[in-house]
Amino acid sequence: MKPLERYWFGDVALARPYLVLRFVLALLAFDTWLNMMPHGAKYGVGAFNVAHFPWFGTFVPSAAFYLGVLAFTGVLALSQALYRPHRIAIVLIAAGYTLGWACSLLDSVPYHYLLSLYLICFVFFPMLSARAAFSRSDQAPRGSAWAYVLFCVTTAIVYFYVAAWSAAKGQAYWLPMVCCVGYLVVSMQDRAELPALRMAAPLLAAPPIAFHLLAPQQGWLPFYMIGIAMIVFTPEQWIHSMGRALTQPARSLAEERPEGGIDERASQVFYLSLLGLVVAPMVSMFVDLPGVKTGCTLTAIAMVFVMGRQLYFTPRWRPLWRVASLFGGCLALWITLTASSARFDFYHEGALDADRRGDHDAAIVLREKADRYAR
Amino acid sequence: MFIAAFLLVQFLIPLTYLAREDASDDRFTWRSLNAPVAPSCETSASLERFDGQREDIPLQKLIHQDWVGYVQRDRRAVVDAFLRKQCDAQDVLQVELINRCDDERGTHEYNLRCGGERSHATARTATR
Repeated sequence: MKPLERYWFGDVALARPYLVLRFVLALLAFDTWLNMMPHGAKYGVGAFNVAHFPWFGTFVPSAAFYLGVLAFTGVLALSQALYRPHRIAIVLIAAGYTLGWACSLLDSVPYHYLLSLYLICFVFFPMLSARAAFSRSDQAPRGSAWAYVLFCVTTAIVYFYVAAWSAAKGQAYWLPMVCCVGYLVVSMQDRAELPALRMAAPLLAAPPIAFHLLAPQQGWLPFYMIGIAMIVFTPEQWIHSMGRALTQPARSLAEERPEGGIDERASQVFYLSLLGLVVAPMVSMFVDLPGVKTGCTLTAIAMVFVMGRQLYFTPRWRPLWRVASLFGGCLALWITLTASSARFDFYHEGALDADRRGDHDAAIVLREKADRYAR
Repeated sequence: MFIAAFLLVQFLIPLTYLAREDASDDRFTWRSLNAPVAPSCETSASLERFDGQREDIPLQKLIHQDWVGYVQRDRRAVVDAFLRKQCDAQDVLQVELINRCDDERGTHEYNLRCGGERSHATARTATR
């Protein structure tokens, strides 16, 4: 194997892509609900919009459209973080998330673009089950995962440009540059022939953590990047043990035992899954935000595509776990929005803007809603 | 092949900033990981009808405050879109928007003759 091929296709501990994928998807779900949804009221105001890319043309996203896209993306992302991710679902999450920010300049948060790049990498990640990534033996499973290396290099490019622009402005640039170098080399740390790198890797976690703690940044970027650094730079054995502990319930719950009555069970699984797919989006009826019901219903439809033939051909429990993960996503959306100030912020911001524009009727309606959710 | 293309795109996109006409547009460049600082520009807009009558455009009442912020930061794409939208009204000959800033940005004037795609921009440096 040539050095470049070894770099891209060499072995990595499978625990890393497994954990990175789930960590980012789970955080992304809560990020969309808690940080993006409250700003949804500004969409469609005055029927004016400028998108990030000209191919959107004169399309003006409404608040319902924006919130629907975010609900869809968040619920699907969390459901994939909870149960074995599916490539089709990741493609849909990437498309939904990118559509969410790209449809308007109102969302110009720099790291949303980075998350879209990450999601593109995730499409090509190995779709591992907990048992595949954390086998019963104490030996950490390894395998080739070029998309994970691409994920690390993508992160390195971001730090490279942060360093380069800092240097151009005459500011200190060494910290992001060390981060860049760290991410370029760290994907090789799990290879047997590089023991020195394995020993140095944990130290390389310090620069990204320090950078994201010290530099002013928008939104949850520090949470993403510190979490990613912890997974990427932690020694193989530690990450394996941590992953084993985290996935212990999932591994024991999803255990399938061969039983009799396969045909009967297949039909039970089919009807139960179908029922679950219909009922799960109904949770969103209690959310009281425009577009969320549609978003959750679309997530259930997406789940049908994800399950495909599995839905009616298998006697295994897998479809039920997928439906359970969808339920988990919808429930988490409802609990998150009810327990946080997201709904209040949405209606309050909408009322303030309507007042500013002189649309007092709309302001009264929005303020009533905001008062209902004030805490 | 995909890896090379994906990386190349990521490398090239931030570099496009160097060729961008609009200096306030630093999207996808990683120049800042933070939100842009609020400007201190004063914006006024007006339109001229075919009969020569001039009218002020109440910017704050027509679009969301965030868009007003973009206009005040001289984000060209937003300014042009806003001016084009005002041309949708009947009998409008041309639309004008002026940004007066207290800092080195000075005064920027944008003028769009309805039917055109892009406004004509003139910049004057601040006198103090």
